[in-house]
Amino acid sequence: MTIERETLEMDVLLVGAGPANLACALQLSKLIAAHNERAGQSGSKQLDEVNIAVIEKAAEIGAHQLSGAVLDPISLRELIPDFEKEGAPLEAPVGEEHVYFLTERGKIPLPILPPPLRNHGNFVVSLNKLTRWLGEKCEAAGVNIFPEFPGAEMLYDGDAVIGVRTGDKGIDKTGKPKPNFEPGVDITAKVTVLGEGVRGSLAKQLINRLKLDSGGDPQVYSVGIKELWEMPDDRFAPGSVIHTMGWPLDSHTFGGSWVYGMRDRLIDIGLAVGLDYRDPRIDPHHEFQLFKTHPLIKELLSGGKLIRYGAKAMPVGGWYTMPQLTSDGVMIIGDSAGMLNGERLKGIHTAIKAGMLAAETIMDALIRSDFSRSTLGVFDKKLRDSYVGSELYKARNFHQAFDRGRMFGLITEGVSVLTGGRLPSRLPIKAGHKHLQKLTGSDNDSRDNGDNRYAGLKYDDKLTFDKLTDVYYSATHHDEDQPAHLKVADLNICIDQCASEFGNPCQNFCPANVYEMVEAGDGKRRLQINFSNCVHCKTCDIMDPYQIIDWVPPEGGGGPNYRNM
Amino acid sequence: MSQGILLFIEQRDGVLNRTSFEAMVAAQGIASATGEKLSAAVLGKAIDAVAAEVAAKKVDAVHTVEDDKLSEYTPDGYVAALKQVVAKLDPRFVILSHTYQVRDFAPRLAASLGKTFVTDCVGFRVEGNEVAFTRQIFQGKINTDVRVVAEPPILASFQAGAYRADKAEAGDSPAPIAAFAIDLTDVQIRTQLEPKFQEAKQAVDLSQAPLIVAVGRGIKSQENIEMVQKLAQAMGAEIAASRPICDNEWLPMDRQIGSSGQTVSPKLYLAVGISGAIQHVVGMKNSQTIVAINKDGEAPIFDIADYGIVGDLFDIVPALTAEINRIKNEGS
Repeated sequence: MTIERETLEMDVLLVGAGPANLACALQLSKLIAAHNERAGQSGSKQLDEVNIAVIEKAAEIGAHQLSGAVLDPISLRELIPDFEKEGAPLEAPVGEEHVYFLTERGKIPLPILPPPLRNHGNFVVSLNKLTRWLGEKCEAAGVNIFPEFPGAEMLYDGDAVIGVRTGDKGIDKTGKPKPNFEPGVDITAKVTVLGEGVRGSLAKQLINRLKLDSGGDPQVYSVGIKELWEMPDDRFAPGSVIHTMGWPLDSHTFGGSWVYGMRDRLIDIGLAVGLDYRDPRIDPHHEFQLFKTHPLIKELLSGGKLIRYGAKAMPVGGWYTMPQLTSDGVMIIGDSAGMLNGERLKGIHTAIKAGMLAAETIMDALIRSDFSRSTLGVFDKKLRDSYVGSELYKARNFHQAFDRGRMFGLITEGVSVLTGGRLPSRLPIKAGHKHLQKLTGSDNDSRDNGDNRYAGLKYDDKLTFDKLTDVYYSATHHDEDQPAHLKVADLNICIDQCASEFGNPCQNFCPANVYEMVEAGDGKRRLQINFSNCVHCKTCDIMDPYQIIDWVPPEGGGGPNYRNM
Repeated sequence: MSQGILLFIEQRDGVLNRTSFEAMVAAQGIASATGEKLSAAVLGKAIDAVAAEVAAKKVDAVHTVEDDKLSEYTPDGYVAALKQVVAKLDPRFVILSHTYQVRDFAPRLAASLGKTFVTDCVGFRVEGNEVAFTRQIFQGKINTDVRVVAEPPILASFQAGAYRADKAEAGDSPAPIAAFAIDLTDVQIRTQLEPKFQEAKQAVDLSQAPLIVAVGRGIKSQENIEMVQKLAQAMGAEIAASRPICDNEWLPMDRQIGSSGQTVSPKLYLAVGISGAIQHVVGMKNSQTIVAINKDGEAPIFDIADYGIVGDLFDIVPALTAEINRIKNEGS
């Protein structure tokens, strides 16, 4: 079907309204204003009006933002020096901090607070709130933000990026246009900045096409499962921070939990599970529910009420997994480029700084009217020379150290911290899904498996909740009459290979019950994709052992609503 | 000096739109509080029945505005006609109901008259001779009173449901109906009308059914649904389903109850083999009486059921059907 599409001309197009791109857009507006004021005074050339546009797949800014989080304010202070006065919605400065190693019934406090986990001077924040606030600042500065516009395809001229095509609206589940069909718009721009967050779909296309990841390591990820609880009293002061390792995760599964005190008697609690575990029967959601049954947590949450649930993957590979960050007409920043510091569990401050540095680079490009790699490429160096680069370099072997199990990892990490990151070699890493071990013998259907590690988990709807109930609390919503946005390249693999080799782990690693193997009659089974449950965490795209799942953005506006997450 | 209140009556294919009577309640209220006369205008072709229905209400006059160019609704036609009506009658207020059709033409009418249009009002207040219209702002969080200081006529539309159509006062005797002369010869209708769009008729509107029997995953296979259908038949109930049944296409989508289906509140909801996941429960929790059959005593459906049987539905359903039929036969 040949569709006529409108073209929208912009100067700078940013895909994804997260902290990286909003910081970039805001900083760029400031730089342009400052430049024009100086030029006006000195009589030199001002820049003509620069049209900056940010497109975002969610229905409102912040709706798809999910993080713990504890924010290092260093880059926010540079972006908006008086951010407290400007109403930055910070929950509280970090107060009491604890790190525990959990056993099934007990907890062992760590004798010293590991430096990377020291949060004095940092703030507990809701990334959703922070992003909404940054969005307001951007709009006040004249940046155009378009929610409900997902980026569907990159637009090229040869290998140079010239813009992005947004997703079509109004396609029914068979792929035919509905009465409300609106073709996606071709937004052209001199430079496109991809800040789509973890496992960005356009970034994935771009990196593959231009081989931007050759020479680097494959990215590795964790998935964070999070719940927001409302308490009846002030038992957990805002700014309180707890981190745990150990139970319930086994020694071959990387991960740990966080508990942060928010304002208004809210407790933010979650578990990160490394997406390079070995047992395909592992279910991150179930691990999190188990974690809550630990006496320490059970007591903390008793009497409280679950108010929201969410999940999102995060890139933890760090320094060696960052791709080439620029090419002709395009830049990649933030989690899409793997700028999260896995050792400190922080990616927001690096995203903001990266956005600011990208703005400087774009400013330069605007003045020179040159948006090729030769001008934009300065960004790669700027980032590596900044404090983002130095802290990512120090943490460069963090996740890699755990590749051989928790003990090895802790020892290696201990050495790394003591030596300021100076480890003899660059530790090897392979993509997470490659760690999955095939099931042996009669373990055919992981759900019916006798020695189910979750056999003792009973959902009581007060402390623990089954996946379907949790999904309800993510407020995720998609128009049912559209094609499934989870493209599985070959559904036969699910039945012919995956069922026996891995037991269809998509049913386990998806935190939203999107994937279900159901009876199809005649004793056969088929994969049912309940795409409307999707919370856009990207775990399936990352963890599927055959890499046949391709996550693409659904019709704009669909997805979770992570208010205050 | 402008005087009087003009009420716009909406009709389609000779059938009156009942929200016009809601607007009439407001118009009658303003008329009696200010002492102004109230007249109603009906536009279209072959609208005598509608006019008669309006004339039976307490209004001072009914104007029928007929022209070939008004036989189907078009914004061009309606705006041109109403401009002439307003020019001749010179009312203080033009009252309309805030329907899709009004939203389509009234802004243009107001703009071409150069007059104020206060939209989607939920009430009004009369102080002395001054009328203030109540509107909501900030997504319904605050009510504001809008007093228009511009020259009349002032257009105002009322939100559907702000008033009740059955509260429109009836007249003591039918009001006079008069044909209103307009001239639309120079008016060009730019809209090209397509055949009318007919929404696909749903086989059943579950929200109207007083008795519902809903079947869930516990039924295990498509063949077994017939057993539940027999029960529904015996009870005189509609059959419905939870999502997995419709995903498997064992029952059509319009039978689905839940967050991605219909929401119902029947007198009796019998859940057969339904676990009671929250996505289903939000679609039926306001049912007056809920009965659940499930072999899992821990199933969440029992948390909201008024009566429950923990047992095998394959035993219980046929037994229930037989008993109901027996009682019906005895009674007859």
